[in-house]
Amino acid sequence: MLSVIKKEFKSYFLSPIGYVFIGLFLITFSIFFYTDVVAYGSTNFEYIFYSGATVLTFIVPVLTMRSFSEERKTGTEQLLLTSPLSITSIVLAKFIAATLIIIITELCTFMYFAILCFFGMPDLLMTFATLLGFLLLAMSYISFGILASSITENQIIAGVITIGFFVATWFLPNLSTSLNNFSLINMYSKFPQGQIDIADTVTFVAFIVMCIVLTITVMQRRKSVR
Amino acid sequence: MIQLKNVTKKYGNFTAVEDINFDIKEGEIIGLLGPNGAGKTTTMNMITGYIEQTEGEILINGIDMLKKSKKAKRDIGYMPEGVPLYNDLTVKEFVTYMAQIKKVNKKDIKQNVNKTLKNTGLEDVQNKLVKNLSRGYKQRVSLAGTLVSDPKILILDEPTVGLDPKQITEIRALIKDLGKNHTVILSSHILSEVSQICNKVIIINKGKIVAIDTPKNLENKVSQNNSIYVTVEDSNNKVETIKGKIDGVKEIKLVEKNEDGTKQYIVIGEKGKDLRKAIFEVFAKENITIFEMKKSDTTLEDAFMKLIEGGNK
Repeated sequence: MLSVIKKEFKSYFLSPIGYVFIGLFLITFSIFFYTDVVAYGSTNFEYIFYSGATVLTFIVPVLTMRSFSEERKTGTEQLLLTSPLSITSIVLAKFIAATLIIIITELCTFMYFAILCFFGMPDLLMTFATLLGFLLLAMSYISFGILASSITENQIIAGVITIGFFVATWFLPNLSTSLNNFSLINMYSKFPQGQIDIADTVTFVAFIVMCIVLTITVMQRRKSVR
Repeated sequence: MIQLKNVTKKYGNFTAVEDINFDIKEGEIIGLLGPNGAGKTTTMNMITGYIEQTEGEILINGIDMLKKSKKAKRDIGYMPEGVPLYNDLTVKEFVTYMAQIKKVNKKDIKQNVNKTLKNTGLEDVQNKLVKNLSRGYKQRVSLAGTLVSDPKILILDEPTVGLDPKQITEIRALIKDLGKNHTVILSSHILSEVSQICNKVIIINKGKIVAIDTPKNLENKVSQNNSIYVTVEDSNNKVETIKGKIDGVKEIKLVEKNEDGTKQYIVIGEKGKDLRKAIFEVFAKENITIFEMKKSDTTLEDAFMKLIEGGNK
């Protein structure tokens, strides 16, 4: 599994995708750093991550839309699926590789943190909660993105399904407040306030596990219908 | 080594492969023949564990592919049709990655990769990106990826498609060489290739096995009569009148008149009788000069066509 993680991680940077993702992420975060933090003369690091979450909605599909679609289209999935690797380890490897990219980008945001430290110490607990929430949100998005990519060989369709789903969960609470619990962004929004809500954390983890299990099921199922 | 028992693959109402049975022994080179859409690739995909059969059992070295697929897959090297490769990797990276996912021992990987690159003639291009290689080289990279884990069984789907004649000869020689210490199944459209390389042929048509035999036996099976082509100079048109003078001849027919004034006839004899000596003697007596005499060969192609047509009726 480690070899697949390494290869997947590496291929993000062999194609422009890794650079485009991190580049877009940092450009938008720099803008938010100025508009949401510097412009207010604040030292609240977590403010960047409120707007950051919306950006995540649109750029995570860049990372995930290729993962299985591309393999299916070029036929390389035959190499993976006829190897002694289990489908579970292949799916997990792809998930972990994409998560590593998110972790790298999160580490990059420490430069804003460093700048703020120069003016006054940001709240460490708040920062930790924010980064954790952001990671959980990103991992949920990734797991769904990979699921979308496993059901079609067209990466554009995989990308559109992913964005469509995120936007739908984003605006669900506008239809009815009872749908609040289905909104990933709503669940996330408590983290930058310094609250690590157990219920929300568990929901995120459950969502991630559910998407991964569904992806594995899709891949298993395709063995008999392919 | 590879056993298929009553294997059937269905897609909804469509049956791609129906009730296939065969047993391949260690060290055999098997050719899988059949027209497009006959079920060759489907059969190979099931043997490699890429897809699951709807019914039946596939055993690799006695291990059930459905139940213990991880273990069964270890012994198999699969080169899929259309040579799928990771284009962003270099040749060496690709072959190394294949060794890793095939679970080659960590300490052996480097040695296996170097050996495979050498055997497949890829040493010179090992640091090039796969996407920049020509088709022939890509085919070799794909083969290298198949060989790097040193599997006992090689399954090659159309290994020579898209290659130039020189590359085809090279790849065939390589496969023949591999056959010495591997069990090989290859599918092909090119019948001469199969009769050259393989010691057994499985002909599939419309998802069913039509024949399993050696290329020679298949040729003999379908060769119904014993006929000889003779090219003669026969200005008096005697040939057709001497039928009765040769024992065992059923018929003599004119095939074509050549530009140089000679004519080619086909002499059809009774089965199992060698007519060559009698023809030579009688024709000489009648003053007919023989320019050329050859047995009409039944090729694997004839056998194939006959078996396939038989199935289509």
